[in-house]
Amino acid sequence: MKPQEPIPHNYPMRKLNLIFALTSLGLLATTGAMVFYDYVRGWKWFQLEFNRIVEERINEQLSVVNDAERKRQLAALEKENREGQIEVARNRNAYVEAQKDLESWEGRHYAADQDYRFAKALLDAKRYEVEAALTQHRGDLREKRREYDELTERVNRLNLVLQQVTRDRDGAAARVERFLTRINEVEERRKEITTDIDLLNKQLRAVTMKSPNNAILNAPMLDFINPTLKIDQVVLNDLFIEMNYMSVPRVDRCQTCHRAIDRPGFESKKEAERLLTELRRNLDKNLIEPSRRADAEERVALLEKTVAAKQDILNPFRTHPNLDMFVGSSSPHPLLEYGCTVCHRGQDRATEFGRAGHTPMSKRMENRWRKVKFPLFPGNWDYKKRNWGYQVNPFLDTPMYPREHSEAGCVKCHAGQVDVEGVERINKATHMVELLGCHACHKINNWRFTDLQKPGPALDGIAEKTTPEWAFRWIASPQRFRSTTRMPAFFYQRNMIGPSVPAAERAQNIKYQDAEIHSIVTYLFSKSTRRQWPAGPAGDAGRGKELVESIGCMGCHIAQDAVKDEKSGAMRVARRDDFPNERHFGFNLTGVGTKTNPNWVFNWVKNPKAYDPQAPMPSLRLSDQEAADVTSYLMALQKPRFMEQPIRPPDVQAVRELTKGYLINTMTDQDAEARLRKMPLRAQLEFLGQRSIEKYGCYSCHDIRGFEGLKPIGTELTTEGSKNMHLFDFGFFGDATHTHGYKAEDGKEEHVLHTVPSWIYNKVRSPRVYDDRRTKPYNDKLKMPNFYLSPDEAQMITSVILGLTKEKVGENRLAARDPRSRQAEEGRKLISQNNCRACHIVNRRGRAIAPLIADENFLPPDLTPQGERAQSPWLFNFLKDPTVMKVRPWMRVRMPTFQFTDQQAATLVAGFAAEGNEQQFDTHQFLTPSAQNVAIGREVFNMLRCQQCHSLTQVDPANPPIPNVADTQSLAPNLTLSKIRLRHDWVADWIRRPDEMIPGTRMPTNFPRDPQTGGFQSPLAMAMDSPQFAAQKAALLPYFENEEALKKTMGDAVALTNYMRDYIWSIGIDRMRAAGAVQTPLRPVPTQPQPSTPRAPASLETRLR
Amino acid sequence: MSLRKHLNLLFMLMLVLAVACGGGKEVVDEEELGEDDQALQTAAAENTGGASSGTPAATTAAVADAATLAGMVKFEGAAAKMPAMQMAADPFCASQHPTPQPDEEVVVGPGGELANVIVYVKNAPAGAPNTTPAVLDQRGCKYIPHVTAVQVGQPIQIKNSDNTLHNVHAMPKTNSQFNEGQPVKDMVSTKKFDKVEMEPFRIKCDVHGWMKSYMAVLPHSYHSVSQMNGQFSIANLPPGNYTLVAWHEKYGQQEQQVTVGPKEQKQVTFTFKG
Repeated sequence: MKPQEPIPHNYPMRKLNLIFALTSLGLLATTGAMVFYDYVRGWKWFQLEFNRIVEERINEQLSVVNDAERKRQLAALEKENREGQIEVARNRNAYVEAQKDLESWEGRHYAADQDYRFAKALLDAKRYEVEAALTQHRGDLREKRREYDELTERVNRLNLVLQQVTRDRDGAAARVERFLTRINEVEERRKEITTDIDLLNKQLRAVTMKSPNNAILNAPMLDFINPTLKIDQVVLNDLFIEMNYMSVPRVDRCQTCHRAIDRPGFESKKEAERLLTELRRNLDKNLIEPSRRADAEERVALLEKTVAAKQDILNPFRTHPNLDMFVGSSSPHPLLEYGCTVCHRGQDRATEFGRAGHTPMSKRMENRWRKVKFPLFPGNWDYKKRNWGYQVNPFLDTPMYPREHSEAGCVKCHAGQVDVEGVERINKATHMVELLGCHACHKINNWRFTDLQKPGPALDGIAEKTTPEWAFRWIASPQRFRSTTRMPAFFYQRNMIGPSVPAAERAQNIKYQDAEIHSIVTYLFSKSTRRQWPAGPAGDAGRGKELVESIGCMGCHIAQDAVKDEKSGAMRVARRDDFPNERHFGFNLTGVGTKTNPNWVFNWVKNPKAYDPQAPMPSLRLSDQEAADVTSYLMALQKPRFMEQPIRPPDVQAVRELTKGYLINTMTDQDAEARLRKMPLRAQLEFLGQRSIEKYGCYSCHDIRGFEGLKPIGTELTTEGSKNMHLFDFGFFGDATHTHGYKAEDGKEEHVLHTVPSWIYNKVRSPRVYDDRRTKPYNDKLKMPNFYLSPDEAQMITSVILGLTKEKVGENRLAARDPRSRQAEEGRKLISQNNCRACHIVNRRGRAIAPLIADENFLPPDLTPQGERAQSPWLFNFLKDPTVMKVRPWMRVRMPTFQFTDQQAATLVAGFAAEGNEQQFDTHQFLTPSAQNVAIGREVFNMLRCQQCHSLTQVDPANPPIPNVADTQSLAPNLTLSKIRLRHDWVADWIRRPDEMIPGTRMPTNFPRDPQTGGFQSPLAMAMDSPQFAAQKAALLPYFENEEALKKTMGDAVALTNYMRDYIWSIGIDRMRAAGAVQTPLRPVPTQPQPSTPRAPASLETRLR
Repeated sequence: MSLRKHLNLLFMLMLVLAVACGGGKEVVDEEELGEDDQALQTAAAENTGGASSGTPAATTAAVADAATLAGMVKFEGAAAKMPAMQMAADPFCASQHPTPQPDEEVVVGPGGELANVIVYVKNAPAGAPNTTPAVLDQRGCKYIPHVTAVQVGQPIQIKNSDNTLHNVHAMPKTNSQFNEGQPVKDMVSTKKFDKVEMEPFRIKCDVHGWMKSYMAVLPHSYHSVSQMNGQFSIANLPPGNYTLVAWHEKYGQQEQQVTVGPKEQKQVTFTFKG
């Protein structure tokens, strides 16, 4: 062929070819890059790294297990195996014979079996024929029946043959087996010895990357089949996450990288140490069942190794701390049922570090996270250096909670509980929210924060209690009077007179603020009731001080405003967090003398509810003289310097402007002016006062007549934690203004990051900070008052608010849903609202008064076992009126009369019973134990010498004799009171294990636990033979068949305690006074006032004209 | 150049790039690690890896040239007058003592010797476990001895030699508390403490409020309690430089530095002031 002429083209082919080539290469590169980025994923690196760590450990374990001893044993077994085989070889002929025999029998068995089965099948067919003939009334029925019978006989015969053949075959098999017994035995022994090695090898195979098997399974294009490196997820159908207007079930993929999160063995050193201490303590105290002791000791060994290791395991390969509470399979929150994001938040479905929403704890941490060596290369982050290539993701709705707020996630499910078991910080935080009264101004619509009392006192009777001069100074700056007060400061804050406010505006703001305070005071005092409170007798301040410090006032109150600083030893102003929360329930008593007047104080301490029926303070049943003594002590607590601060008179112009500002809302300017001309200053102040109370929301925390039913003034916080970051007003903080920090009121520098936790933290820390440097009209400025929270307090409150989200949780996941738990929780709410923990330990926490009582024998009782311990009818009576029975007459601290309504007392009683898993009503009180039990019980009682501490004399429960403290019998409860007070079975349980129920109790343990069996040892078992108890032995012997039976019973702690319980039951009294049978005399409510128009106090009035 | 050459060049370039960018070796440069606890722990652990595990073993080699520390505890000044123990509440206890017993808080001998002072070596290495039981006896409604020091893990036999109810309520801070009743005369409870507790803690009887005893748990057996004549003696001490601590329940704690040579009989005196 002749060479072809080049074909002419319209396009420059060379160029096109070049373009095509280049783009093809580009496409190849892109495809390559796609495959690359799809295959090389970050999480694979982590799984590989984890596998490497596990492989290292397994190899270590193998080398430990494969030690010389093991090798020697295996070598010995090998030798035996060989010997066995030699034996078989020696008897080879016989062996072969036996095998041949067996084969022939196998064949015969097969044939016989087959014959039998075929015959049975034929029989079934014949049965059908017979039944068909019967139902169809065919003629050959009888013939068919005969055939059927024949076949049945044949089947039975064949069955017998089969059985015999089977027996013979088994015999032949056994003969063959005998040759091999030795070898089989050796094989079994070898397996026994190498089980753990085999297990480790199996684990190794699953994990190692060196095996070609795993390499192929994980190869780039083939890993869709069955890879060993894969994403690990848990689908949670009833826990929802908000995603673009939809609530979808969560799919948590965190354990793709956090491989060991639910595996013990990878704890951090700190966690391992903590676990070690706990486990060792439990082992010491024999609290672990004997069957589980071995496991516990193994775990201890493993933890010791972790603690002694050179390096800590780094995240993401760490075990979750506190595996028994979270994530562990036996914990209340197993990983497979709860996942991770329901507590920690974050993007559940993400598998990249940045996308998952990891939040750094500080700016410094964030800077370290931002670094990355190869930005485009996915994975293989230098995790040891914590460089993640992190970038803040502004589009993530639910970033993870920063570590200091990781308990915020509890609120979602546990909002139905007052205290969550096992976590301390969030409990403290919710109690602080309750104490400071955030729920009063900001509605929070979950059970924990609804139906709570208002944090401030009622202001309807303010004129009876104090003076306008004091009230003005108080509202202006509560902290100047009481440094630990819960009342926040509304006025003179940083957005009014702070450094960022221009000077002219500052002066004007001061005038406005003065005017508002004057108006509020005027309004309150003009509308106040003016009942006359009668005076009490003269009192002795010294006795009063003693009373206040001993009868229990100091549980709910503090009476100091200076404390000794721990570090420097100097005295400094007290702060709220210097005292436990329970002692802030009542107000700090310093300066009470300056604030109020003796008549009012006298009547208040006699009967607080006469002044205000909603008052939280209970009555201490003070006699007139005692009340007078307390009054004279309290009136001596003065703060005269507080009253020396000057009060600026209200600026007439300012009052006018503010009043006009309100009037203009409802009428024109001219009408407003006309109205103003008709209002004297006093009327303007009253008008302004009402509007100011509405503006600042005083009625949210205080009951003020005329303001009932108004909505709480603050933003509703029910789903504040879900609010998008862009909806928060950061004011002038941010990159645009280059301002990222400020100085808080206590002098500490704070930073504002553009994240939700930071906004909330800074808001509660300094509520007006987002007004810094902004120009706003007076009435538009931020109004939230300043609580002067410390950084720690502010962080705790932020945790609570972050936990209030709108992410749905399935009904069955909410905590404490069952009726028994609900009852217990309602009881606990009342306990929290009445501050029982000021004096008592409830649920292992509380007793704030303990440091103030020197002698531990005089502490109020521990109520942790109260539900199991006290009978409900008794408890109801006691709570309604504690004077019905004085169980511990030696104590000086008094149980107050709380004047509970029937419903409140019933809720408490039901709550205790629910917690103790008991029912409220039973007939045990009417049980009569048998005379024999009582007699045996009496002897055991005497042998254990219980009467050395417990009195057995019957007394009037309401008026027992005051004991002599030096007497040993004075500090233990009188046992005749047990029958109506204690639960029948609890008494025996208590005698057996008092140290477990109330740690540190004075009641000795007479039946210590046996470490081997977990049961109780009895000291009386061998005591029977000692001469000391000869008399008791003689008395007991008639009740038992023989001495052996007696000794056996003496060694049985349960039986002994039951007998003692019966004896105590037999000596108990049956009756006590009912609550309300005798009214504890309370001061009568005073007469109503005579004047119909209230008059303002003279001092203020003179200034107003 | 021709097209082929262009393509070849391109291909070479891509090859080179593929090799170079595919995950090179990491150059480790130490940057500041900051205070994240995990990073700090890796750094700290690398630095102090070996140091935390050291307890120099004082092995049997030192027994040959063991020294003895003996001495006196003196008391200067006026001893506080001790009130009598009020035993009237329990007739048995009152019957055991014809004359009232003074409280044992401060026991000063006639020549100014202070008894019931625990003298121990503070920084001696942990010793071999001691299996000889220490005995705490309750006799005549008093604890005998009033003050004891035991070794970690050493069994403690607590006896009730009285015909009355005693309970042994130990209140340690580091170890676990216990409160055992001993109603039977001559019964013995054996206890031991597993953790070191150098600050002596109280053991009391809830039935008889005046009964008090103090116990310290030390990691070794180099301790002694001063007797009525103020004498104490610590034997089998390996030679070296030690801090000696003397503790009294009312007059506090004192320390002294001592150096003992091999086979030396060193005399040490402590003086407490009232």
